[in-house]
Amino acid sequence: MKLNEYTQNVGMRTIVIQVVAFALLALLGVRLYYLQIVQGDYWSGRAENQRIRLIPIPAPRGAIFDRNGKILVDSRPTYNVVLSNEPLKTIDVSTRVPEYSRGLNLESDFVVERLNLIKKQNEFEALVLKESATMQDIAWVESHSLEFPELRIELQPQRFYPHGTMLAHVLGYVGEISPKQLEQEEYSSRGLRPGDIIGKGGLEQSYDQYLRGRPGYRKVIVDSRGRVQNEIEVVQPQAGQDLVSTIDLDIQTAAEQHLAASATGRGAVVAMDPNNGEILALASAPSFDPNVFTQGSKTPEGRRQIAAYWQDEKRPLYNRAIQGQYPPGSTWKIPESMGALQQGVITVKNSNLACGGGIQVGSKFTRCMGSHGSPPLSYAITKSCDGYYYRLALKMKIEGLIQMIETFDFDKRTGIDIPNEKISQTPKSWKPIVEKREGRWSDIRTVYASIGQDTVVVTPISMLRAVASIGVKGKMYVPHLMKEFKPIGAMGEEGSQSYFAERPGVTFDRPDPKLVPMTPEQEEVMVKGMWGVVQGGGTAGSIRIPDFDIAGKTGTAQVAQLGKDVGAKKDHAWFVSFAPAFKPEIAVIALIENVGFGGSHAAPVAKGIYETFIATRYGGVPPADAAIDPKLVAKR
Amino acid sequence: MVAIIEKRDLRDFDWLTTILAVAIACFGVWQIHNALPNENYWSKQIIGLGIALFAFFVIAFSDYRRIIEFAPFFYGFGLLLLALVLTPLGVEVNGQQAWLKLPIIGQFQPSEFMKVPTVLMLARYFGKKKTGALSIREALIGGGIMAAPLGLIMLEPDVGQAITYFPILAAAFFLSGIKIRYVVGAIVLAAVMVPAAWIVGVKTGKIKKYQQERIMAVVDPESVDPRGFGYHTIQSIITVGKGGLSGIKGDTETSQSVLKFLPEPHTDFIFAVTAENTGFIGCISLLLAYALLLSRLIAGARETTERAGMLVIMSIATALAFQIFINVGMALGFLPVIGVPLPLMSAGLSAILTTFCAIGFVVSIRMRRFVN
Repeated sequence: MKLNEYTQNVGMRTIVIQVVAFALLALLGVRLYYLQIVQGDYWSGRAENQRIRLIPIPAPRGAIFDRNGKILVDSRPTYNVVLSNEPLKTIDVSTRVPEYSRGLNLESDFVVERLNLIKKQNEFEALVLKESATMQDIAWVESHSLEFPELRIELQPQRFYPHGTMLAHVLGYVGEISPKQLEQEEYSSRGLRPGDIIGKGGLEQSYDQYLRGRPGYRKVIVDSRGRVQNEIEVVQPQAGQDLVSTIDLDIQTAAEQHLAASATGRGAVVAMDPNNGEILALASAPSFDPNVFTQGSKTPEGRRQIAAYWQDEKRPLYNRAIQGQYPPGSTWKIPESMGALQQGVITVKNSNLACGGGIQVGSKFTRCMGSHGSPPLSYAITKSCDGYYYRLALKMKIEGLIQMIETFDFDKRTGIDIPNEKISQTPKSWKPIVEKREGRWSDIRTVYASIGQDTVVVTPISMLRAVASIGVKGKMYVPHLMKEFKPIGAMGEEGSQSYFAERPGVTFDRPDPKLVPMTPEQEEVMVKGMWGVVQGGGTAGSIRIPDFDIAGKTGTAQVAQLGKDVGAKKDHAWFVSFAPAFKPEIAVIALIENVGFGGSHAAPVAKGIYETFIATRYGGVPPADAAIDPKLVAKR
Repeated sequence: MVAIIEKRDLRDFDWLTTILAVAIACFGVWQIHNALPNENYWSKQIIGLGIALFAFFVIAFSDYRRIIEFAPFFYGFGLLLLALVLTPLGVEVNGQQAWLKLPIIGQFQPSEFMKVPTVLMLARYFGKKKTGALSIREALIGGGIMAAPLGLIMLEPDVGQAITYFPILAAAFFLSGIKIRYVVGAIVLAAVMVPAAWIVGVKTGKIKKYQQERIMAVVDPESVDPRGFGYHTIQSIITVGKGGLSGIKGDTETSQSVLKFLPEPHTDFIFAVTAENTGFIGCISLLLAYALLLSRLIAGARETTERAGMLVIMSIATALAFQIFINVGMALGFLPVIGVPLPLMSAGLSAILTTFCAIGFVVSIRMRRFVN
C-alpha cells in the first residue's frame, strides 16, 4: 500500500470505511429477512386487506300479498347516490357541502348531517346521500366522478306500498336500522349492520327475518383512494320470501271506507275468521302512508311529514285495533254473561233477574236505560238491560268478574303477530290499586264494571277474540295475519362460500285454541240473545241483512257523560258480532271514537263489511243456511 | 475522442465496475417499469441511462488530474446553478424549490450534480496534504468548501440531499489524518446530542409535528395514524413484507404501487417495489451487487498512488454507501422518510447522471494507476 508512507494509516482507514459500509449493508439484509421471510405472510395479509373490498348487493325483500294473491307490498328498483367513506378520510369535507347541495338539490344542513355521520361512524363503509335519484342526479354524479370519487350510484330495491294509507298499521314500513337498535341484543344477534334496512312496525317487523333476503356482494380490488379497479367475484343475493297474509283486500277496503265515512273518522275495525283466528281485515283510522317513511326519511320534506305524523293529536301512527284501550260499554256483557253461566250464578233454565229501572247502591242510584221487568238472559242481551247486569255482577261478586276476565284472556295479549299490542286493563289489574287507595273494593265499582265502565278498558282485538269464541263452542284462537311464506330456491353452488341454501315454505304454526268451557245449551242461549240484537228487535235492528243472520252486541261507552252530546268527548260506539249467527264464518268488531250510540254508528260499519263478505264470497246471495226462521229461534 | 483512446487505456479499463453499475441500472429500469407499468418513467430512464453512459465514458477516458485542476471552475459553476434554483427559474415541487428549468436542457436538480464538484474540490484541497494529523485550519477550509453548497441546498430546502453531503466531508477528514480521538468524540457526542436534541426539539416545538410523526413511525409504525405521516412508512413496510421469498414476479396488477398505496414508487421507494416484485432473493442479490461495487471502488482507492485520486474514490464510495443505507433503511421502515434516491435505481436523470459521472472518475483514476 503505497499511501501508507503518509504516516496517516490511510490503508487501515479505508478498511474501516469498507467494514462499516458492509456492516450497514448486512444490517439491511437482516431487516429484509425479518420483514420478508419471518413476517411475510402477515404483511401480505395486510396488503390484501387494504386492497380488497366487499361491496354489498342488496337483496330484494319478499313481497306481501293478500289471501287471494293481490299485491299489498312490493319492491321496485330505485337508484341511490351513495357516499363512500374511504376517499373522504383525507379531505376537508366542508368543501363538499355546497357542491353536493347544488348538484344533487339537497339542503345543505342535511348534507352536513350525512357527512358528519359518515366521518364519525368509522364502521360505515358507505352511506346513502340521496335516495330515488333522478336521471339528472345520476348524470351529475357520473360527470363528476373524478372530482368526487366518493360518490357512486347504486341500484337499490325500494319498498313500495301501492295502497298508501290502507293497511298501514298491519304492514308497517321499512327503514334504516337505528344506532340504538344496533346495540340491542335482538338485532345484533341477527348480524345486522349499520345502514341495513329492517322492518319497522307491523308485518314488516314481525317477519323481518323471512322477508329479508340475504345480500350478495361484489369482491373488488380498490386503489388507495377506494376507487374500484377490478372485480374478482360476484355473489348474487338471495331474495326474501314472499308473505301471503290472511288479509282479504276486498274486506279491508270496505273496512277502511266505512271507517273513513264514519262521523269522526276515528276508530278501528277488525274482521276475523272465528274458526281459525285468521284476520281478514284490520283497519285503524286515521292512518299514515308508509311510503313517506321509506322514501322520505332522507329528504327534509319527508322528515317534516314524519314529524307531523308524530305530532298529530289524532295519533295516526297508533294502531287503535291492538293498542287502543277503550271502555267496552255493553259489549262487555257478552263475556260477563258467559262467565255467569259458567260459574252457575245463573243457569240456562233460570236466568231471570230484575231490571228495576236501575239499582240503589248506598246513597247512589244507577239507572237502566229502560224498564225491562225481570228479563231472562237472552232478552237482557237483546235489549242491553243495564239493571239486569248490575244485579248479575253483584251476584257474581268482583271475584266472579275477575274469574271471567281470566277465562277470556282479558289479562293477556291476544298474541296477534304484529308488534306493540297492549293489554286490556280490568278490575283484575285495578283491584289491588283501588283497595290500596280506598281501603276496599266497593259495590258501586262492581256495578260500573258490570256495564264495561270505570275500571274496564279493553283493546278491540281482545274483545273480538272473546266474543267470537261464543259462536264456535268456546274456541279462542290466536288472531294472526300471516298465512304462509313461499319457498325460495337455493343460490350459488352447494358447498361454496357463496352458497345460500333453499328457504322452505312456511305456513302459520297455529297454536291450539284456548277452550272456554261451555255447554251447547249455554252457547245457544248466548247466541239467541245476540241474534235478537239484530234480528229480534234489539239495539242493532237497523242493520239487518235479509237471509243472513248476525249475532252481535252493541256498546255505547261513556267517555265523559253517558248519552249526552259533550262535543269531543262523546261516547265511543261499539259493535261486536259474528255471522251467520248459528254457523259463523266471519266475526267483526267496529269501534268508532266519540260518536254516540253503538247501534247507530258502529253497527252500520259492521254491516258494510258483512255485505262485502256476502258479495265477494257468495256473489251477493247469502248461503241457504245463513238464516234461520225466527220462530225456530224463539223456541230454542 | 476515440482516436485518443490508447490501447493501454482499454487494457486497464475497469470493465467489471462498469458492467456492475450498468447491470444495477438496468435492473432499476425493470423495477421502474414494475412500479408504474402504465407510465413512461422506465423509458425515460433508459434515455437517461444512455446520456449517463456517454458522460461516463467521456470522464473515464479523460485524465482526472486535469479535471481536478479545473475543480474550482466546476465548483463555482455548480454554486451558480444552486443559486439560480432559488430565483424564479427554479421550479417548486412538493414545497421544495429544488429544480431548475432551463430551455433546451430541460429540468434538472443541481443539488444532485453539485456532489461531484464538491468531491473534486475537497480532493484537490486535501490531496496536497502529505503528512501529519488534520489541523483545525484544514478542517475549517474543508468545512467551508462544503458549507457553501450545503447552505444553498438548505434554502430550498432539501434536507434529504443536504444529508448526503456529510459523508463526503467525513470521508475526506477521516482519510486526511483526523485524530481517532476526535472521531470517537464525535460519535459519543452524537450519541448524547441526538436524543437530547430530540427532547429539546419536541418540547420547544422546533421539531414540527409531522417530523415527529415521521420519526415515531419508525420507532413504532403500528402506533401512528396510518393515514397521517406514518402512512409512507407503513405502506413501504407492507410492500416489502408482501414480497416474501421470491416476490410477485412482475404480476403488477394488484401491486402496492399500481394501486397507489405506495407513494413515490419509482423514486424514493423503488427499493420497496423491488422487494415486492423480486422478494428476498432479488433484494439480497441487489445488496450483494452494491457490496461488490463498493468493494471494487475501495480496492481501486487502495491501488492508486495518487492521493487526490484516492480521496475522490473514497468520498464517492462513502457517499454511495451512505445513500444506499439511508434509502433502503427508509424503505425497510427503520429510518425516517427523507427524499434520498437509491443510487443507480431510482428514476431521475439528475441522479443517474451524477452517479455515472462519479463512477466515471473512479474508472478514470483506476485506469491511470500504473502511470508514473
